[in-house]
Amino acid sequence: MNFDELVGGDDLTPEERARLRHVHDLLVEAGPPPDLPPALEHPSGPPADAEVVHLPLPRRAAAAALAAAAVVAVGFGIGFVVGHAKEKPTSFVTARVVSMHGNVPGRFAVLNIGKKDAASNWPMELTVTGLSPQLARKSYYELWLTKNGKATTSCGTFRVHAGRTTVRFSVPYSFKEYDGWIVTAERTGGHSPGPVVLTT
Amino acid sequence: MAYALPLRTIASVDSDGELIVRTADGDGSAFEELYRRYARPVFGLALRRLGDRNRAEDAVQETFASLWRSAGTYRPERGPGAPWLYAVARNAIVDRARRRYEPPVETPDEPADEAGPEEHAESAFTAWQVHRALEELPEREREVISLAYWSGLSQSEIAEFLAIPLGTVKTRTRAALMRLADLLEELQ
Repeated sequence: MNFDELVGGDDLTPEERARLRHVHDLLVEAGPPPDLPPALEHPSGPPADAEVVHLPLPRRAAAAALAAAAVVAVGFGIGFVVGHAKEKPTSFVTARVVSMHGNVPGRFAVLNIGKKDAASNWPMELTVTGLSPQLARKSYYELWLTKNGKATTSCGTFRVHAGRTTVRFSVPYSFKEYDGWIVTAERTGGHSPGPVVLTT
Repeated sequence: MAYALPLRTIASVDSDGELIVRTADGDGSAFEELYRRYARPVFGLALRRLGDRNRAEDAVQETFASLWRSAGTYRPERGPGAPWLYAVARNAIVDRARRRYEPPVETPDEPADEAGPEEHAESAFTAWQVHRALEELPEREREVISLAYWSGLSQSEIAEFLAIPLGTVKTRTRAALMRLADLLEELQ
């Protein structure tokens, strides 16, 4: 990407431009941050055998500290889901977002994962961009959960039209057992899973 | 052209060091905030070092378990929290790496042109800081940065994808870079 195109304009002082240029270089050097596997989306909490070493406290203060710790422990792990949830106009409540990328420029997707419903299903909304529309009726795409990068469990199939396509799924799987998602190109009667077109 | 910063300012946020101290006192919310800030940088560091998502995942768990246990050893007067956390993560990742048997390799006669350990370490720390800073960006700014730098999209394509004016993309991009500059200076 071109730095001058990114920041635009000539209203920056030389010092400001140099500062932003430095950040630009750091971003290029650092590369993209990884997508967190589903199992790491939330802290698992303090380990069961964890001990916090304190200096001796007066008994009353220690009791208060224990009570406070108990309150904190009860709320542990809830913050992320609650904190990141946001209402969309279509009423799909996103708990977390996973980005997916393809092997050609302009091909990518955003997978919004909702809160688990009362029946223990996870609603998901996938928006794909840059996938080729299917010309043949037998062709479709399929979203998979992966283990060690390999497709293991299907989350559903879909077709796309030109531009951007949004589809919804609902799956009952425990995401902790998996390490990511992929989208494959499928064909009825063909070998499945087909070639990977998007991956986390 | 003026670029207004959002209402949330850096000064209003607890520093990493403050959160480590509170974690040492058993404050779960402080621990959770540190997790939010650092889970991705730790995972990125582990992936670089271990090259395997499953093992990197284990290293992240170990890093935060270690953080919880050893937060009491952090001394704010010795420096900010980010380098201390980096050391905790690095130790957990190195420990994880040692658990796999790696056969010795023959030492080459000629020095390699590839980056050595120092360059790798510096690069890893840079990525650590940048990924940590990215976690603090508002979602809409992080989105344009991700699309601009790592999706291969032009700014016009980003505008089209996000269904916002091109000028808004440019404004958000510049605001994000300015905020990242502030954050990175603070982390150092």
